[in-house]
Amino acid sequence: MFYKPKKAIHSRISRRRFLELGGAGATMLGTGSLAVGLNSTIMATRVQAQSSDDAKWKQFAGSKLVFLSENTPPSFAIREKLKSFYDLTGIEVEILTDDLPVVQQKAGIDLRSGTADYVLQYSQDKPIGSPFADFYADLTPLFGDETLPQDPEGYGDDVWFENFLSACGRFYDGNRIVALPYDAAIACTFYRKDVFEAHSKDFEAEYGRRMEFTNDTTWQDVLDFATFLKKIKEGGADVPYGYAQHQGSFAWTTQLDIQRMCFANGRWIDYAIDDKLGSKTPGSTNWGDEQSVLILEKFKALADVSHPDNLANGTLELNTVYQSGNIAMQVQYHEFAASVEDEATSLAAGGKTGYAPCPKGAPDWIKNGGEAVNGTNCGIGGIAINKNASEELQRAAYVFAQWSTSADNQYEVLKGLGGTPTRKSVLQREDVKAAMNRPSSMPNALTFAPVYDFGIKDPNFVLGPKIPKANEYHSIIASQTQRMLAGELSPAETGAELKSQLDALNEG
Amino acid sequence: MTETLSGLSMSDGSGADRFRARKVSTDVEARPLSAALQPPGRFNAAARKAYYFYLMAPAIALLAFISLYPFFWLIVMAFQKGEMGAVEWVGFKNFTDLAKDARFLSGWALLFKYSAMCLFLQVFIGVLLAVVVNGSRYEKFLVTALLMPMMMAPAVAGLLWLFLYNGTFGWYHWIFQSLGFLGSGSILSSAQTSMYALVLVDVWQWTPLITLIALAGLKRVPRDQMEANMVDGASPLRNFFAIVLPNLYPVLLIAVLLRFMDNFRFIDHILVLTGGGPANSTKILPVYLFEVAFKFFDLGRGAAVALVLLVVTIILGKILVGAFDRPTKGGR
Repeated sequence: MFYKPKKAIHSRISRRRFLELGGAGATMLGTGSLAVGLNSTIMATRVQAQSSDDAKWKQFAGSKLVFLSENTPPSFAIREKLKSFYDLTGIEVEILTDDLPVVQQKAGIDLRSGTADYVLQYSQDKPIGSPFADFYADLTPLFGDETLPQDPEGYGDDVWFENFLSACGRFYDGNRIVALPYDAAIACTFYRKDVFEAHSKDFEAEYGRRMEFTNDTTWQDVLDFATFLKKIKEGGADVPYGYAQHQGSFAWTTQLDIQRMCFANGRWIDYAIDDKLGSKTPGSTNWGDEQSVLILEKFKALADVSHPDNLANGTLELNTVYQSGNIAMQVQYHEFAASVEDEATSLAAGGKTGYAPCPKGAPDWIKNGGEAVNGTNCGIGGIAINKNASEELQRAAYVFAQWSTSADNQYEVLKGLGGTPTRKSVLQREDVKAAMNRPSSMPNALTFAPVYDFGIKDPNFVLGPKIPKANEYHSIIASQTQRMLAGELSPAETGAELKSQLDALNEG
Repeated sequence: MTETLSGLSMSDGSGADRFRARKVSTDVEARPLSAALQPPGRFNAAARKAYYFYLMAPAIALLAFISLYPFFWLIVMAFQKGEMGAVEWVGFKNFTDLAKDARFLSGWALLFKYSAMCLFLQVFIGVLLAVVVNGSRYEKFLVTALLMPMMMAPAVAGLLWLFLYNGTFGWYHWIFQSLGFLGSGSILSSAQTSMYALVLVDVWQWTPLITLIALAGLKRVPRDQMEANMVDGASPLRNFFAIVLPNLYPVLLIAVLLRFMDNFRFIDHILVLTGGGPANSTKILPVYLFEVAFKFFDLGRGAAVALVLLVVTIILGKILVGAFDRPTKGGR
């Protein structure tokens, strides 16, 4: 009935032989699978302090790491270099990139649920570092570990730009460092030199001073520039609006926007705590005091003469408005210089844009007796290691973390995709120094003088508040400030509302 | 046993002759009962309940794992405060705090406003489109074209409209401004107009669902009723309100129920377009819930918000289903 091969395998091999062959095959498969599964353990070689550099780099060969990062230039550039890292270490790294809010959510779920799906994480100072710092491994024991490869420059505060290590690495406890500075976004002023030059005489005739941007340009000047440009625009002149704020849907940058103005005028900060270290118990907020209400009034006055889309412009949209030639000034993060200088997409390219520090406080705007400074804030993205991971994986992750933040890598990212270095030594290279002036082969370098040499240094630098509930704090600041700008609340009511909600937040 | 008809029976028997009254037999035997139905024999025997339970057990276990277990933890978390692994039992505090939370209360008000606007416009436009499309020469083409927005992921739809609304290069922004609907700012930049921007996106994407359901309803409106009504001299409009709409009523209620529940859970395009702003003007309750749970990681409060939202959704759903049942009981 059925076809039966003449030389069927079962007629040639005995049942006993078949079972023997099957058993041998299964054993080989099992051993192979075990070998693959325990790859990193089998291939790991115990190293000593005296071992060769090559042995130190290779000791975690076979490990696999996943790095969850924001979609910023360093991560794209380093993704392109993963092959060289694999050749150096034998460690396989997968870099997953997404928008910061998504990274924040994924990181939070991973860390708080006790898992280590993402062994390496991009830890942006306040949005990710502040709420999750306790879930990251302390890197200080690893810095001095002679059995691990180490960066020749080291990791002390002096090798990074001022305040960077504190911004992303120290939270609530000065003895722990949970992240290495990986990339940076520092605020500075982008302004249209061509527009300023064209209208400077008219402005001077009306206001009695030149329309120009220097390190001493104050927020009062910015308000006057914006008022002047709006007036002539509404009079029919073909000029852009003067200014626009970061008041869109991203609460963190909205908070940073008003923080700059508050700090510039009397170095006002939200809580009486160490701004760089933060506090888990910040106490009562300063919002609602005389100084803060005055700044809220000024912030509203500036909004009233800003671009009409002010409440819809998040940081990215704001830059688009500037690139499209619709505003003459923006306080923006220096990483955006590369896009502004791109002639294919920007009307502000081709030498039209000047870069200056953030505006300075105006003496008339200071009621608390504090100093007028160029209040400058930032987002310092750190690379951190998930404490839930095994010790071996944490050590393997450290190898990647210190490699990815090395000066050579940062230099290559800057040259390739327009990164923002965090190590001082990158700026010592001759071609980087040359790129800080036009014509520049590294457009971001055009911002380095106002940012690295001035804005980021004390007394201009402001960071906080680093508090565990930083994200809800940002949300409250953003929503109440927007209500004021929309005309729902007066500045005094806004100050009172902020105080009430923020105090309830920290008590709850 | 026999007896004469009451009142007609006479002792002499004359009455009986006169009226020829029939004798009615009361000698009625009870109708025999049918033999009780015997349970089928072994051939078709009903299985024991346990047997069905065994069959369903894998599905029940899977359902419990992916649905009931997390739901149980949601309830537990609603009574706790703190982080995963380090929680504190706080009783009803999360719920009592919600009563004082201005963002929670305003979230409800905005949710009802948003849902009401979306539902009204979607039902009105959806039915109108269904009537226009029904019986058209290009019905198949039009239905396919109408369904296109529905096939788009809500987050992608949000991104698309974000570009269309953009104050710098958005096409719809330009149209709205040209028509005089907008001032110099974009529709998303004002707390007064941003909610309408979101409603427009929801209406654009989900009206086709109502159209599709209404179209299916229109196909089963009895022709004879319409013809009879027209013979009686009813105008097409009168015909629509007297015959078509009452027949569409049950299917429309299903559509409303679906969309109502969707509006209580779909926040993708809102997150993309406004993130709840500006000035909290579009922070409907599900957006606030998302923010509390996944941005602030306050899981206890988030669970409490979710439970309240769930209970209210169930109650409102029951009310709608009740409204759906009533016409059936009335014989409509």
